[in-house]
Amino acid sequence: MSEILQFSLCLFAFNCFALAKFNHYRDVFKVRPTQTQSNQFVVVAWISILLSLVLSVVEYKGYGALLFCGYMALSVLILMIFYSFKTSWVKAMSVINISVILFSGLFFAIY
Amino acid sequence: MHAQSQKNSQLLMLVAKISQYYQSYAYQLAVVSRFFAAIVGGYLFTSVFTALMSITLPLKKSDAVLLSISLTIFIYSCVFIWVFAVKSLKTIWITILLTSSACGLSIALLKGWL
Amino acid sequence: MKDSFFRSMTWMHTWVGLLVCWLLYLIFFAGTVSFFRDEITLWSKPALHDAHVPQERIGLQHQQIIAGVEYLKTVAPESNRWGIYLPSEREPWLIYAYEKPRPEGKRFGGWNDYYINPETGAPIQQPRETKGGNFFYRLHFDLHYIDVRTARWIVCFASLFMLVALISGVVIHKRIFKDMFSFRKNKGSRSWLDGHNVSSVLALPFHIMITYTGLITLIFMLFPYPAMTAYDNGVRGLFNDVLPTNVRTQSSAESAPLVAVETVLDQVYTNWPNADITQFAIRDPNTASATITVRAATGTQVRDQTPTLLFNGVDGSLMAKTRDELSATEVFYDSLTALHTGRLANPLLRWLYFLCGVAGCVMIATGCIMWAKRIRERMKKDQVPSFGLKLVEGLNLATLMGLPVATSAFFIANRLLPITTAERADKEILVFFVTWLAVALFALFKRAKQQWIMLAWVNCIACISISLVNALTTNGNLISYVLNSQWALFSFDLMCLISAVLFIVQAKKLRTQLHAPTAPFRANRAGKSNLREQNT
Repeated sequence: MSEILQFSLCLFAFNCFALAKFNHYRDVFKVRPTQTQSNQFVVVAWISILLSLVLSVVEYKGYGALLFCGYMALSVLILMIFYSFKTSWVKAMSVINISVILFSGLFFAIY
Repeated sequence: MHAQSQKNSQLLMLVAKISQYYQSYAYQLAVVSRFFAAIVGGYLFTSVFTALMSITLPLKKSDAVLLSISLTIFIYSCVFIWVFAVKSLKTIWITILLTSSACGLSIALLKGWL
Repeated sequence: MKDSFFRSMTWMHTWVGLLVCWLLYLIFFAGTVSFFRDEITLWSKPALHDAHVPQERIGLQHQQIIAGVEYLKTVAPESNRWGIYLPSEREPWLIYAYEKPRPEGKRFGGWNDYYINPETGAPIQQPRETKGGNFFYRLHFDLHYIDVRTARWIVCFASLFMLVALISGVVIHKRIFKDMFSFRKNKGSRSWLDGHNVSSVLALPFHIMITYTGLITLIFMLFPYPAMTAYDNGVRGLFNDVLPTNVRTQSSAESAPLVAVETVLDQVYTNWPNADITQFAIRDPNTASATITVRAATGTQVRDQTPTLLFNGVDGSLMAKTRDELSATEVFYDSLTALHTGRLANPLLRWLYFLCGVAGCVMIATGCIMWAKRIRERMKKDQVPSFGLKLVEGLNLATLMGLPVATSAFFIANRLLPITTAERADKEILVFFVTWLAVALFALFKRAKQQWIMLAWVNCIACISISLVNALTTNGNLISYVLNSQWALFSFDLMCLISAVLFIVQAKKLRTQLHAPTAPFRANRAGKSNLREQNT
C-alpha cells in the first residue's frame, strides 16, 4: 500500500511540473496560466516529490532511492503518453491520481 | 649536378605531397589524435592520480584504496570530457603528461622507489 | 576541435555514441533480460516448474543441511567440493551438488546437481541441460566465443563511451528537461529525437547509475593500480584485507573425518540467530584441509557481499567471519556493486529496473536510427548513399531487429531440441548466434523499410511461437500458470505475447508510412521498445 502512495505522489508531482509549463497548461485547460499559478504548481510539485522520496527512503533504506528513480521513470512515461496522445484525459487522470493519494494516505495513516 | 637537382626536386615533390596529404586528412588526424588523447591520456592520468590518492588519503589502507577505486570512473570521464572541450591539442597533451608525471614522481618519492 | 564547448560536446556525443551503439545495445539488452535471470532459468527447466517454496522455509533449513551432508557422504565421498543450495523465493528448490572428477589439467570438473522438491522431500527429475538466464547474464559482460578477458575489456570500453555520451548528452540537450513531456508525432527525425530524449530523461538517474556501477564491477581489471600501489601483492592483498573469509587453505591429501554438521550449525545460529542460510559449501571434504563455508541472505540491506562464516571442517572451529560493521567507504563501494546487480530487489523494484533497462535500449536504438535518418533527410534526391550510411543502416537492422529474433530462437530451441542431445546447452547458444547471423546476412543485402516490416512480422511470429511451443511441449500454459499461481512463468508467457502485439503495431505503423511516402517517418518506437521484453 505504501508503494502506491509513494508512486502516486511522484506521479502527482510530475503532473504538477507539467502543468506549470505554459504549453501543457493551455492544452489541458484551454486558458493561459498566470505566473502565480505556475509558481504554485512548481511549489506543490517539489513538496510532493520530496515527500515521495522521503517515504520510500524511510521504508526501504538504500533500495528506496532506487525505487524512487523507478517511480520517476514510470511517472514521466505515463505523463508523456497522456500529454502527447490523450490530452483530454489528463483531467480525469489527475482526479484519479489525487483520490488515490488521499485514499492510500488515509490507509497509510491508519495502519 | 643535374642529377643532384633532379633528386632535390623529387624530394621537394615528396614533401609537398606529404604535406598535401596531411592537409587533406588534417581533420581526420585531429579527430584520431583527440580520441587517442582522451582514451589513452585519460587512462594514464586516472591511473597515476588514483594510485597517488590510494596512498595519500588519510584513511585506513583498505578504505583509501576502495574509495579511490570507486572514484576512478568519475575522474576518467571528467578527463574525457575535458579533452573534447579544450580547443588546443597541444595544451591537452602538455597538461596530461605534466600532471601524470608529477603524480608518478610523487608516488615514487612516497614509496621510496627512487 | 569545434568552435564552442557546446558544439564540441554535440560532436562528441554523436560520434562516441555511434561508434559503440550496437555493442551497447547488446549489452543493455542482455543486461535488462538478466534482471530476470533466475526466472528465465526456471522457465527453461520445465522439470522444476512444479516446485514451490515450503511454508516453513527457514525452519526446514537445519534439517535439509543435515540430510544433504548425509547424502553427499554416501554418494560422493571422494569429491573435491560439496555444495548444498537451499530454496529461496526465486529459486524454490533444494540442490545437493558435488564436483565431478577433475579432468587432467583442469582446475574444476563441473557440478553434478541433485534436485529435490523442498515441500515433499522427493527428488526431482534431472532438468534438461541448458544455460537459461545465465546465458544472457554471461553475454552481458563476457560476450561469447571471445576470450573472457578481451571481452571484458571491450565491454568496459563501450561502457566508458556510454558514460561519456550520457554526460555530454545532458550538456547538449539542456532543453530536454524543459519539454520532457512532449513527444512530437510524425515529424521525421524530430520524432526520433523526441523518442531519444524521452527515453533518456525518463530514466536518466538509472542510466548514469547503471553505467557507472557497471564499470565498477569490472574495476579491478580496468584500474588495478590503486591496489597495486598500496599493497605489495596488489588486488589479492586488498581482497585478503577487506574480506576476512577470503582464505584459501592448502589442500592436503591426508584424510580426516568431517566434523559433525550439528556442531557447525549450532555456531551458525549463535552468530546469526535468525539466519536465512542460502548456501552450505564444503571444500575438500573428508581430508585434513576441509573447510565449510556458510552463506546467508543479506535481507533488505544494499549489500553485494553476502554474510559468510568459514569453519574448519575437521574440528569445527570458526576460522573467519565477514564483519558485521563495514566502514563508510566499504559500504559505499559495496553498495555500488549491489545497485548494479539488484540481486536482492523486491519484485516491484525488479520490474522498475526492467522498465528503465528497456528505456535504455530504446534510447540506444533511437539514437542510432536517428543518425541514419538525418543523413538520409539531408541527402539530395538522386544522391548515392555513402558506404558509411549503408553500413550504419545495415547494422541497425541486423542488431535492433536481429537480437530479438535470436532471443526468441534461443527460447524455442530450449523447448524443441531433444533432451538427450549431446552438449545441449551449447547447441542452444549456437541456435541463438546462427539466427542472428542469418538476420545480419539478410540485412547485408537489403535494409529498406520493407525489410523492417518483414522482420517485425518474423519477430511477432517468433514471440507467439515461444508461448505456443511451451504450451505444446510442457504441461503448463498461460491459463494453468494463473490457476496454479506460477507468476514467474505467467509473466514470461505474457511478456512474449505483449512483445508480439507490439511487433504487430510496429509493422502496421511502418506499412502506413510505406503507402504514404510523403508522410514523414514516425518512430516504430513502441514496437522497438518492446523487443526487449522477451523475458519475464
